[in-house]
Amino acid sequence: MSQTITDIERVDEFSGEDSSSGSIERFLTFTSDNITFGVSTNNVIEIITSYKIRPLPMVPDYIRGIINLRGQVVPVIDIRLRMGRPLLEYTDSTCIIILSIGETSVGITVDFVAQVLDIDREDICPIPVSNRQELSSSMIHLKDGSVVLFLDCEQLIRQY
Amino acid sequence: MDNSMEGLLDTYLFETNSLLDSLDELLINAEKTADFSEDDVNEIFRSMHTIKGSSAMLEFNSLMEIAHHIEDLFFYIRENGIDSLNSEHKKDLFNLMFKSTDKLREEIQKVENNEPLEDNIDSFVTEINNLLNKISNKTADGAAQTTANTAPAAGSQAGASAAAPAPLSRADMPYLLHVYFEDGCGMEHLRAFMLINSLQETDMEFAYYPEDIDTNPDTDETIIDNGFYIAFKTEADLENAAKVVDGSQHIRSYEMVDNSASEGANEEPPAPAVQAASAPAPDAPAASQAPAAKPAASQAPAAKKKAPASHGAVKQDLISVNLSKLDALVAIVGEIVTTESMVTSSPDLQGLRLDNFTKSARQLRKLTDDLQDISMSLRMVSVSGVFQKMNRIVRDMKQALNKDVRLTIIGENTEVDKTIVDNISDPLMHMVRNAMDHGIEENVQDRIDAGKNPQGEIILSATHTGSEVIISVTDDGRGMDTQAILAKAERNGILVKPPEDYSKKEILALLMTPGFSTNTEVTEYSGRGVGLDVVKKNVESIGGVINITSEFGKGSCMTLRIPLTLAIADGMEISVGDSIFTIPISDIRSSFKASEADIVYDPSGHEIIRRMDEFYPVIRLHELYGIQDACTTIDDGILMWLESGDKSYCLFVDKLIGEQQVVVKPLPPYLQYFNIKEAGISSCTILGNGNISIILDVASVYNAAQNML
Repeated sequence: MSQTITDIERVDEFSGEDSSSGSIERFLTFTSDNITFGVSTNNVIEIITSYKIRPLPMVPDYIRGIINLRGQVVPVIDIRLRMGRPLLEYTDSTCIIILSIGETSVGITVDFVAQVLDIDREDICPIPVSNRQELSSSMIHLKDGSVVLFLDCEQLIRQY
Repeated sequence: MDNSMEGLLDTYLFETNSLLDSLDELLINAEKTADFSEDDVNEIFRSMHTIKGSSAMLEFNSLMEIAHHIEDLFFYIRENGIDSLNSEHKKDLFNLMFKSTDKLREEIQKVENNEPLEDNIDSFVTEINNLLNKISNKTADGAAQTTANTAPAAGSQAGASAAAPAPLSRADMPYLLHVYFEDGCGMEHLRAFMLINSLQETDMEFAYYPEDIDTNPDTDETIIDNGFYIAFKTEADLENAAKVVDGSQHIRSYEMVDNSASEGANEEPPAPAVQAASAPAPDAPAASQAPAAKPAASQAPAAKKKAPASHGAVKQDLISVNLSKLDALVAIVGEIVTTESMVTSSPDLQGLRLDNFTKSARQLRKLTDDLQDISMSLRMVSVSGVFQKMNRIVRDMKQALNKDVRLTIIGENTEVDKTIVDNISDPLMHMVRNAMDHGIEENVQDRIDAGKNPQGEIILSATHTGSEVIISVTDDGRGMDTQAILAKAERNGILVKPPEDYSKKEILALLMTPGFSTNTEVTEYSGRGVGLDVVKKNVESIGGVINITSEFGKGSCMTLRIPLTLAIADGMEISVGDSIFTIPISDIRSSFKASEADIVYDPSGHEIIRRMDEFYPVIRLHELYGIQDACTTIDDGILMWLESGDKSYCLFVDKLIGEQQVVVKPLPPYLQYFNIKEAGISSCTILGNGNISIILDVASVYNAAQNML
């Protein structure tokens, strides 16, 4: 856990100077089932590891349960299962990213957290509708050839 | 709206609401004796003055004006003594006062909901004024009142030719301010009065015309036609007053008239004017001078007196705290309690002999326990406020339904959690209305024939029993006709089994089914067919249970059993596999060991077990929730006989861990989407070791199990 946070802080120092431009936003990227997602750091509260999740009965399988985050009860969603992919057994390196979406706090379990990127909002483009999947509707193509999908936080907690 | 205004508004709402509440209580008590004591009159006068003042400050005009007129009314009563009213007037006065507090409350509600206030309250104001006129005309100075009315008219006619109206042609106050209000702004006399009020605050000496603006709405026309005159002693005062007028609303124009110069040169014209004024009505100056001077004179000291007086009324040993702050405090205290046990039972300390630590830890535990008790008690309020409201309902319905009923209140000082008090108000109202409307007999003769006291009685009582508060509404009316209920239920098609299979308890429970109402007519108060089912729902939402008992011909009793607090519960911790659950102690009848042989199967193959000569279904929690690694044979685990409402069953779990007081935490709202409540999970709690235990809702577990079958 401490390792992850230092990583983020280091990235912060690096990119601190040129982030003055208004359209630059900072995104935390993480990987789940070989897909790289980005989520705005405005939504991220913290990253925690090795937390004991209390499973809940009679809920969809992607709701892994609830955790006690310093007295606050927070539900945890597994991103893999949410996407309909198979569950990867949790290990010590499985991270829970605590997101604050509007009034709601949720934790998402991801395979691992990658880094924090400064992304110009103008470079973000929509995903072609036919290739779109539920949790993301926009993406960015980075210079190193990798692709980051942006997690649609509202969609994540929306019910239908 | 900025923050300071917001805070002001909060205080205003709080203050006004509590004033109205105490006013209501006062009125109810006063009505019992059908008389106001001198203290009552003073109290009403003070309350209205406070409401008027604070409403004016926040520019809630409708509130201000109603309060203002009632204040006038009571000013009159105070001056003349309550004995000057005959009983009919008193009755009118009571009705008017109840109506007024309702109206004020209605307006306050609008303020709370951020809705626009009513601008047209003229008819209401007229009603108050009518009563005032009625009362005052009856009394001795009725003659003076009428002459006072004619005097200004005469004066204005005479004064129109002169620069200043007759009554204001005073040598000592030569500086005149002549104010015109906006066309059609309405209630000019009140606006003028407001102006006078604000001028009075500046400590200036002045006179004004027309003088009876605060009591006589007819002066409106005079003001519209001739404007409103204010006279000052010095030019400086005039300038200051102009500033005040500048800051007021609805002023079309004003002019400053300096009579001092013309006074010396032209001493003659004003004098005839005065004479002209007095000629047609010889006693006019005296009459108009006297009443006007009296209010003006007594207004100022009254205002000064009032400030400390109203402070005295507010209890100094009470402070009002925002509920969310209190909740935050309670939440943190809950945290501290859990953290404390996390520290003291830390695995790192296992097997160590730490005498000093243990001693300090014990001290800490004692303190945290005290802290928890105190923080919980902060949320406890007495039910008297809610009960007092019922007084009012009974009073209103008594008149509307023409039934003679007295309400007896028992145990109004019983304290319950604030959230619960807020939530029982509506159910109680429905219950009392039901008792009034359906319970008490229509005809007094029916009661006399049945050998009852002609006056009906509704008893509202509250008592504590350990972890619950029991609130009951009992009436000595006609009771419930089970056959009629059954027939009605059958007509409405809400029976689920043959009518003859219904027990009395079940029939009475039918009353709380949606869409049921035994009254054939819809009345203003009840009988819309919503009511008892809403009551049931509201009560259940705060974890309570409602129960109806009734004896035909003798009366009925509705009982609410509600947990004292929602924040802390006594729970039994149990484990199933690796999971820990908490079951509210109040729902547990007993727990017992059983063997496979004790289990029998009902015709559809479900497990049931015999307890106290009756069979109860067995629900296996591990099956219901799909928990791995749990005991599967009845012999290895333990059965818990649970009962909640009308659900009674045996729950099969692995083992009992122990009884504990738990701090109930609501589940994250996000999870509500998944109907988690229907799965039998009501909330959760954090255990000493930081793990989460799920608190089961005994009734929903049963329903969930039924749905699984």
